[in-house]
Amino acid sequence: MNHAVLFAPDFSLQALRRSEPALMGKPVVLARGEGRKARVTEVSAEAATVAPGLAVTLAIARCPGIIVRTRDLAAEADATRLLVAAALTLAPRVEDTAAGCCTVDLRGADAAQTESRMHACVVELAAFGLAVLIGAAGTPLLASYAARRARPVLIVGDARKFLEPLPVDVAEPTSNQAAILRGWGITTLGQLTALPKAEIGRRLGTDGVRLWERAAGETTRVLQLVEPARTFVAEWNYEVPVEAMEPLLFRLQRFAECVALELRGAGWVAEKLTLTLLLEDESDYRRDFRLPEPSADVGGWMRILHGHLETVRTLARVTGVRLIASPARPQEKQDGLFDIGLRDAAAFWENLARLGALVGDGRVGTPVIADTWRPDVVALEKPAETVPAPAAEPIHPPRGLTLRRFRSPWPARVRLGERQPEEIESAELHGIVRAARGPFRLSGAWWTPDRWAVETWHVELSTNAVYQIARTTEGWSVEGVFD
Amino acid sequence: MGYVELHARSAFSFLRGGSDPEALAAAAGHWQLPALALCDRDGFYGSVRLYMAAKEAGVRALVGCEITMDDESVVPVLVASQAGYRRMCDLLTTSHLRAPKGKGRVLWSELATDSAGLIALTGDEEGPMRRVWRERGTDAAAEAGERLIEIFGPDRLYVELQRHLLPDEDEENDFLIDWARARRLPVVATNGVTHALKSARHVVDVFTCLREHVTLDQAGRRLTRNRERHIKGEAAMTALFADLPEAVANTGHLAARLDFTLDDLGYRFPDYAVPAGESQDSFLRKVTYFGAQQRYGSIVGDVRRQLERELALIEKLGFPGYFLIVWDLCAFAREKGILVQGRGSAANSCVCYSLGITAVDPVGSKLLFERFLSEGRTDWPDIDLDLPSGDRREEVIQEVYRRYGRTGAAMTANVITFKGRSTMREVGKVFGLPDDVLDRFSSLFHGGDYPQTLKLKEQLNVAGLTAEHPRLEALIDTCGQVYSLPRHLGQHSGGMVVSAGNLSQFVPLENAAMPGRSVLQWDKSDCEDMRMVKIDLLGLGMMAALQDSLEICAQRGQPVDLARIPKDDPAVFKMLQAADTVGLFQVESRAQMATLPRMKPENFYDLAIEVAIIRPGPIQGGAVNPYLARRAGKEPVTYPDERARPILERTLGVVLFQEQILRLAMELGGFSAAEADELRRAIGFTRSQERLNRMTGKLGAALKKNSVTDSAAEYILTSLASFALYGFPESHAISFALIVYASAWLKVHRSAVFYATLINNQPMGFYSVASLVQDGRRHGIKFLPPCVQRSDAQVGVDADDTVRLGLATVQSVRTKAVKSMLATRASRPFASLTDFLRRTEFNPKERRALAAAGALNILGDHRRAALWRVEETDVTDELFRHVATGDERPLSPLETMTPLERVQTDFETLGFTTGPHPMHLLRAQLPDVWPAAELVHTKPNERVKVAGAVTCRQRPGTAKGVCFITLEDETGTANTIVWPAVFERYRMLINLEPTLIITGRVQKEDGVLHVIAEEISAMMLLALPEQASRNYH
Repeated sequence: MNHAVLFAPDFSLQALRRSEPALMGKPVVLARGEGRKARVTEVSAEAATVAPGLAVTLAIARCPGIIVRTRDLAAEADATRLLVAAALTLAPRVEDTAAGCCTVDLRGADAAQTESRMHACVVELAAFGLAVLIGAAGTPLLASYAARRARPVLIVGDARKFLEPLPVDVAEPTSNQAAILRGWGITTLGQLTALPKAEIGRRLGTDGVRLWERAAGETTRVLQLVEPARTFVAEWNYEVPVEAMEPLLFRLQRFAECVALELRGAGWVAEKLTLTLLLEDESDYRRDFRLPEPSADVGGWMRILHGHLETVRTLARVTGVRLIASPARPQEKQDGLFDIGLRDAAAFWENLARLGALVGDGRVGTPVIADTWRPDVVALEKPAETVPAPAAEPIHPPRGLTLRRFRSPWPARVRLGERQPEEIESAELHGIVRAARGPFRLSGAWWTPDRWAVETWHVELSTNAVYQIARTTEGWSVEGVFD
Repeated sequence: MGYVELHARSAFSFLRGGSDPEALAAAAGHWQLPALALCDRDGFYGSVRLYMAAKEAGVRALVGCEITMDDESVVPVLVASQAGYRRMCDLLTTSHLRAPKGKGRVLWSELATDSAGLIALTGDEEGPMRRVWRERGTDAAAEAGERLIEIFGPDRLYVELQRHLLPDEDEENDFLIDWARARRLPVVATNGVTHALKSARHVVDVFTCLREHVTLDQAGRRLTRNRERHIKGEAAMTALFADLPEAVANTGHLAARLDFTLDDLGYRFPDYAVPAGESQDSFLRKVTYFGAQQRYGSIVGDVRRQLERELALIEKLGFPGYFLIVWDLCAFAREKGILVQGRGSAANSCVCYSLGITAVDPVGSKLLFERFLSEGRTDWPDIDLDLPSGDRREEVIQEVYRRYGRTGAAMTANVITFKGRSTMREVGKVFGLPDDVLDRFSSLFHGGDYPQTLKLKEQLNVAGLTAEHPRLEALIDTCGQVYSLPRHLGQHSGGMVVSAGNLSQFVPLENAAMPGRSVLQWDKSDCEDMRMVKIDLLGLGMMAALQDSLEICAQRGQPVDLARIPKDDPAVFKMLQAADTVGLFQVESRAQMATLPRMKPENFYDLAIEVAIIRPGPIQGGAVNPYLARRAGKEPVTYPDERARPILERTLGVVLFQEQILRLAMELGGFSAAEADELRRAIGFTRSQERLNRMTGKLGAALKKNSVTDSAAEYILTSLASFALYGFPESHAISFALIVYASAWLKVHRSAVFYATLINNQPMGFYSVASLVQDGRRHGIKFLPPCVQRSDAQVGVDADDTVRLGLATVQSVRTKAVKSMLATRASRPFASLTDFLRRTEFNPKERRALAAAGALNILGDHRRAALWRVEETDVTDELFRHVATGDERPLSPLETMTPLERVQTDFETLGFTTGPHPMHLLRAQLPDVWPAAELVHTKPNERVKVAGAVTCRQRPGTAKGVCFITLEDETGTANTIVWPAVFERYRMLINLEPTLIITGRVQKEDGVLHVIAEEISAMMLLALPEQASRNYH
């Protein structure tokens, strides 16, 4: 028993359900591919009439109410960390072999203790929402085969006897090899290894020989051990839910110190912090903070977190807190020749975060003219870190008078003549129209409930002032004056 | 002349216009515009439709187009004269033929060469001036304008002004007005119309998104700014240009200069090159009489009278050249050994029969010549030729090109329109609907545009779009508007137009998708409207199968002459009466099979009726059941009017054929030949319900005037309305019946040949190869797997009851490699598998497929042994390539395949099996399921369970939402009927599952058995291979 493999069947589906508990107990399948080519890849036990490989459309037909989802890579990454962490409890030499599969080098470990630890590990992971099977054998490959047959732990003694009935797919033939073997009627490892190895070599080449050796459990290899922690997560669950900010800040300060230290030790900095507050009502409050410049500066992190938490009001008490630092290499960049960089980028972003906390994230940014024909509509974009070079002169510079918009526009009553407005009256303005130009009609977003239409006029009043008035479904308004 | 809209685009600008030409014409008529110029992008695609619709609306249709230049600017050009039209056609043809589809650009240098007869506008925002003004300023725009003056001169260039109530358009217009004044050019107002009515602005936006591959949410400023680019009346345009009244007035002046309309196309059908001393008339007479001599032996009595009558009319109408050209084309086909047979109304002509164009004797069959040609006819008669599909038909098509040149002949276009699922898929994507909703919609509302029992809103709801979805209403409205608008231009399956001189002078030509073919910009109705002569060279799979059958029979020393096979063979009619018609031409459909046992055809004419009766026309007209009941003696034969007796006698008082409608109109309504011809065109012209209504009214009045009772008149008018939904002419039905009979005769007397040639000519008909093979097996035919020592590329016949599959039936095997192998084998048979592997060029995948299909069994013991051997890497050593070798290899260690494995492998490699039906192998797992053949032993209303591969799903428009599903098992087929409510419950399963279990009650009527479905489930047996089916055709 030199190696053990922790194997999480239907790993992607399990990871998804761990991250979305609402999916528990419901028929869920994972699908891959687009449109009519989409196929089911993993199936929950509740969707008994569906099998992997089935077209998604057929799955929907066969299992009404089925939930079809695609892989959630973030959830898988999270589950993988958990799996690796669990593997590290068995022995320090761990390989993250594949999605949902970790191989542990057990050499030197006490066999009896290890076996009981394996069972504990299965229980522990199940409590965290991840069902795993563990196999142990002389080689990583055999251990891997064993894990796939374990209920939930299997330690292989007689390798040959164990291998014979296993389906040939466990030896992971390529699709071409699988097609050939299917044609030959080879369905088990025993059948494959019954064929002379040399004859397999003549037909399937060296890859075929390797497949045969895998089928015979003869292959061994050196593990690609996981590097020291590359993800930096800290989490705490409160025994008694908290309402005040201090305990949170205290815990976060400790997290930040610890995680920042780990990051620096590994030669990383954080590019993003994710703060999650787990709430008593089983919901959570989650906020991402993209750092202005990737850093491992505890003071800077805390200023952002503190500034934000000052404004947070949750509907339920906090039962847990999680901080994830997303690592990145320290940034290296070169400004453009005509770009002007911010003098203190960190301070700028801190202020921006504070503003966001005060007025809402959706109301902070650089206004840019929105890509729509609707007049006077701007969108807020994330501010650029550099000021771009000035734009070229327009081909047709604006001519005539400049419109100075009233914010907000003045509601008005307009008396219409046969062809044009004749009199305008509002709280701020009253006048007889001496001349008018228009109407100008714009409309858009007709496919949404936010469809809009506006008719505008340029009117000259007897005072010689020229105004822009507009009519929408809400009535007339004076939009501005031409200077 | 008042305001004329001179710059309008229709949906025939393909994703650049939101209304069809008919809608534009109607809007122009509504606003009482005297004329309307259609300027579609890079062609005259919609011109004919505008021309026809504008006539109805009392609007003069002017001809123009927007041409995309080599700098991507777009110049609107109006056609002033026939010379200008021809020049424009020529320019467009040149640009299209030298570029991939949709990429044709006219060179400025080409336009400069000759622009006589053309008048240009400076264009809209895509025009050369405004485009440059925006990008590079006034000087560059003026420079672009100078180039237009150079090309068109100041007298044929108008500065185009558009006002769409936009705040920033004045600046651009001010520049254009100043420039026009400086250059002393006239200004002209247009509205740059892109849609007929305001509401169609949505369509324009959706099309913009489709063109730019973005959603509406992403499109931003690519969308329209308002809905002002619709057809406007003079008052609106005068108000818009109140400060420039000359811009509006000039539209009338300019329109007055446009002399050219499509009245004046100048098209002429080519003359036939007659021998010296002969005229077209005399030569036609000569060859007709010669042919008649061959057909009839002696030309006397009715035959002579009919020939004289026809020839006189053909000469009078000036059509002899047309008949001679078609005759010559048929002669070419026969010389090349290609089967050819005229279909349609041409079979009503004794001249056509004598010329060998058709195969039906119209005198003997008492067919109505006026259905084909009449005194009052102004358009060309229609002669459609059926040819074997595939290479043989292509040979005839290429002969037409050879004779008339690439610019002298072209295929007619086929306008691909937005339909059902494709409309929802495309519009839904633009609306940003999730893919899963669209996928689900496509799956639920499976292929084709069969009538739905659910409204679109409900369909979307079932597909996962809630009724409260904020975009639902807009989506449904837009789909409704987009539906049936043109999407792109395809190629008609067989319609060819030829002309005297270059066809490209009359209509622009483009490259077709198939190399060596050109396609013109109008569809067949447009060509008919323009009185262009169309010859339909249609490919029929069954003709190809018949031709192949004749060749195989001759090779096997059992020659067959289709013209001489007895037409009263009892075995043939016995088979037809038993509805044993899988594989037969026309009568193999589910509906035909359900009718045959009731119809019990006894002679050839019954077959013509059988062909004609299962059509939407007779079905909608309620003719089917009365005819069958009368035939069975269950109800008396009556006539709507005693005067109708001679017309309807043969069809027991029921209207089944188009000719009968025309005869009734002539005999009871007193219609002249010209009026009858007008009626014929109204029936055939599906685009205009108004036209049909007009003729219905006219006929109704005529019947009343002639004292036809109300009930008789109503019956005749109902029949008329039904025939607009598609009914056959009698002559056409008889022509088709000939092919039906020939195919039936072959199935009875040359069964192996019949099945072999059907398989070789797939895809065709209603059934997959898998079903054909099972049908053959039930008829005692043995199907042998492909064999590298014995098979040819194609399926062949080893014995009277044995079919040998060809090597080309093995999927994924290249034809080239098979041909090479056959050549190698011809020089010396393969001595062993090693020898085979060394001397052939199959790649590993092909070798594997051949072995799996059993094609190497003769050399390798069994399939697995061959599969073991073909993977050896050292047998193809080049050194031993030409050395015959015996096999000294050890035997394969692999087990032979089980029967189920063989069936599965057959389906994987061939798509069907020559062995037992898969259901046979799974029967033990389905103890409570009735085999299809045993259903005859059930009692009416008994509850049964049937199961099998779905070979056919049908939901015809005439069935009011009922779905017909055919399940095939090892004993035959079980026909099931699914009522709408049950269909809706199991819609997804029905549409998607390849194999089904259906529980329901037995219905038996007149020897026809159905299972009325109550419960439906999927047959989830993993071992069952998936079989091809034919759905919702």
